[in-house]
Amino acid sequence: MKNILIVAAREFKQITAMRSFWLTLLILPLALSFGPLAGKFLKDDAASRLMIVDRSGGGVAAALTARIDDDHQRDVLGRLSRYVRRHDLAAAGRGQPWAEHDRYYTDADVAAFKAAGGLPAALKAIDRVKPDSVPDFKAPNADYQVMPAAPALAAAAPPDLDRAAEPLLRPADKNAKAVDTILVIPADFALTGQARLLANSDPSPRLMGLVQEVLTRQLRTGFLEGQGLSAQAATAAGQIAPALSVATPPPGGGLKEAMVVRSILPLGVCYLLMMSLMLSGSWMLQGSVEERGNKLIETVLACVSPEELMYGKLIGTVAVGMLMIAVWILCGVVAATATQGAIADFIRPAVAPLRSPGTIATILFFLVVGYVSISLFFLAIGAMTDSMREAQGYLMPVMLALILPVTVLIQAVLSGQGGVALTVLTFVPIWTPFTVLARLGSGIPTWQVLVAGALLLAWTALQLVMLGRLFRQSLLATGQKPSLRTVIARMRARGE
Amino acid sequence: MLASSSETAALRLDGVSKKFDQTLAVDDLSFAVREGETFGFLGGNGAGKTTSLRMVLDIIRPTSGSISVLGRAPGRENAAAIGFLPEERGLYRQMSAIDTIVYFGRLKGMSASDARREGLALLERFGLGGNAKTTIDKLSKGMAQKVQLAAAIVNRPTLLLLDEPFSGLDPVNQTLLEDEIRRAASDGATVVFSTHVMQHAERLCDRLLFLARGRKRFEGTIDEARGSMPARLLLTARQSPAGLPGVASATRLGDGADGWEEWEVHLAPQADAGDLLETCIAQGFALRRCEQQRPGLHDVFIHLVGPTEARA
Repeated sequence: MKNILIVAAREFKQITAMRSFWLTLLILPLALSFGPLAGKFLKDDAASRLMIVDRSGGGVAAALTARIDDDHQRDVLGRLSRYVRRHDLAAAGRGQPWAEHDRYYTDADVAAFKAAGGLPAALKAIDRVKPDSVPDFKAPNADYQVMPAAPALAAAAPPDLDRAAEPLLRPADKNAKAVDTILVIPADFALTGQARLLANSDPSPRLMGLVQEVLTRQLRTGFLEGQGLSAQAATAAGQIAPALSVATPPPGGGLKEAMVVRSILPLGVCYLLMMSLMLSGSWMLQGSVEERGNKLIETVLACVSPEELMYGKLIGTVAVGMLMIAVWILCGVVAATATQGAIADFIRPAVAPLRSPGTIATILFFLVVGYVSISLFFLAIGAMTDSMREAQGYLMPVMLALILPVTVLIQAVLSGQGGVALTVLTFVPIWTPFTVLARLGSGIPTWQVLVAGALLLAWTALQLVMLGRLFRQSLLATGQKPSLRTVIARMRARGE
Repeated sequence: MLASSSETAALRLDGVSKKFDQTLAVDDLSFAVREGETFGFLGGNGAGKTTSLRMVLDIIRPTSGSISVLGRAPGRENAAAIGFLPEERGLYRQMSAIDTIVYFGRLKGMSASDARREGLALLERFGLGGNAKTTIDKLSKGMAQKVQLAAAIVNRPTLLLLDEPFSGLDPVNQTLLEDEIRRAASDGATVVFSTHVMQHAERLCDRLLFLARGRKRFEGTIDEARGSMPARLLLTARQSPAGLPGVASATRLGDGADGWEEWEVHLAPQADAGDLLETCIAQGFALRRCEQQRPGLHDVFIHLVGPTEARA
């Protein structure tokens, strides 16, 4: 046992001394740190600039401006409502729409919100009850910025509109901000119902829908007034809308959300198992190839038995893999506890299973035994080859056989599909660790976990015997790449 | 073989054979190496030297026969008492010189501190004191060979097994290795080394064994080996010595001055040069010179193994 640990310590030390190990180890924490920053840089927060030229009297421009503002306030209200619910701050504004989350916010809710002082008044009320640990509310940016009509454009005759709009849509000065969309409402809009929209790129469907809705309402109101309804009644008719009552689970608590959240840790571990296996496996392979390639295997075998060497290498590599996974999980936990926002909301419940000893034991079992099982393939390949180039020939098919089904199964688990195929993969030992880990979040019957675990253990024991023989027989073998027949003969050889 | 079982053998092989598929690498090999002896294992390529040493180290197991190493069966439990330098040498390229020595020292049962202390002393002795922390890939080939030797003897072995130890060494390192072999022997260690370079065996060995195609052809001292070859004399005589008793053949090499002739004489097996000289004097056979030529170990090897197998 002492020699096994000495070999394991050397393997561990050699791998952890490699620059590539540290680079790989830091990839995830760096991604976690820089991901949100990169997202911030990549996100286009600038509001789309909309210019309205209303020659019909100004009513349409006013209605559209009011509607855009209302929509923004509705968005603010919705976000504020979720913020209040997430941090349990409803006591700050009993009766206020932002303290209620049971409906789609109507125009009346928005009007009441604005009348009560809007976001500043709401935040003032919230601040009175908000604990210091609760982060500040971040209001969403407005989607559209309505701009006054440029004089030249406002004065342009209908045939000259395009020419007048051109410098606004595509300004020659690169520092000047372009207008994204120009909406022209002709003087006879109420009669013809025709309006023009000029844009420097395809307008968003949302803007088109919004313009269409407001202009339709304007036309209908005019039509109703033309039919003898009072202006007040016509306006009221245009504003008729259903009061939609909505019941939703708290943020992150939806059925699909819950399944996804529960699956984050097991799926994450499954991914990490795959990643660290590929990395540490190839490092171990490199070490084995080095021992053969550098002709030092005989010196080593004079001191330790092939079995001690094999177990030492396995333990050293598994320790490296577990260290990597532990560091990555720790980074995730730190990110969950140290950060705020939607990601943290997902990660926190995702790491909740770590409080369950049963779940921890299951994850650890499939992680460690799976690691040993797959690593044995790398070890056997390392013992049979003299160079990394030669090793790649064996490695490629093994990696493909392992990884391809795993990527498919993870997608199947996430989408809730897979059925019989998933069950079958669960009991095929080389895929068992990945499949069981991936299925832990979405629900896997206990008997399947137990049977799959037993099969995996038996398979790994068989591997230790067969690949152990292959390892022992191949260590000192030289010459050509062994044929399949040779490999099988070495696996069957019981002694020297 | 040892004369009696009461004599202590550091290493003993009895009827050992090793077969790889259809190839018989070692064939019924028996020999013993006494404690404190420097023993040469001589043979051409493919003679079975490396296979035999691997069986002694339990790296591979014999197909039949028995092996005793320091009174025990082969196994890693003997590693603490054994130093081994394989023919094909290499080290972990990213490990430092001292870490390499400590690693192998620990695998041989030493404590890390003892292995470090002994390793540093060896590096100092080999002129590598300043390179203890240098990684192997930054050392020259000669330096790396010294590190490997240090790793082999860090445990002060009582049995030192060296497989073609001089192959690939520069002259300086060959001298260093010869000195270390002599040092180990003078400290009481048993040294067994395989080689196909006869000069090293002549300089270092107390006894030796010739091996060809896996079979033992000779075991004994260097003098015994030489004795197995018919004696060769150079004579300066007035007439042919072919008719003298004990002479197997006589070849005239040329004429000397004043009617004297140069002759090369091979004696018959068991014939002695002294007896021949006495006969010459007794019979009045005119002799001006009688010089016995000692056969070189290489000649003895060829004689005992045969030219074809010696080349193998």
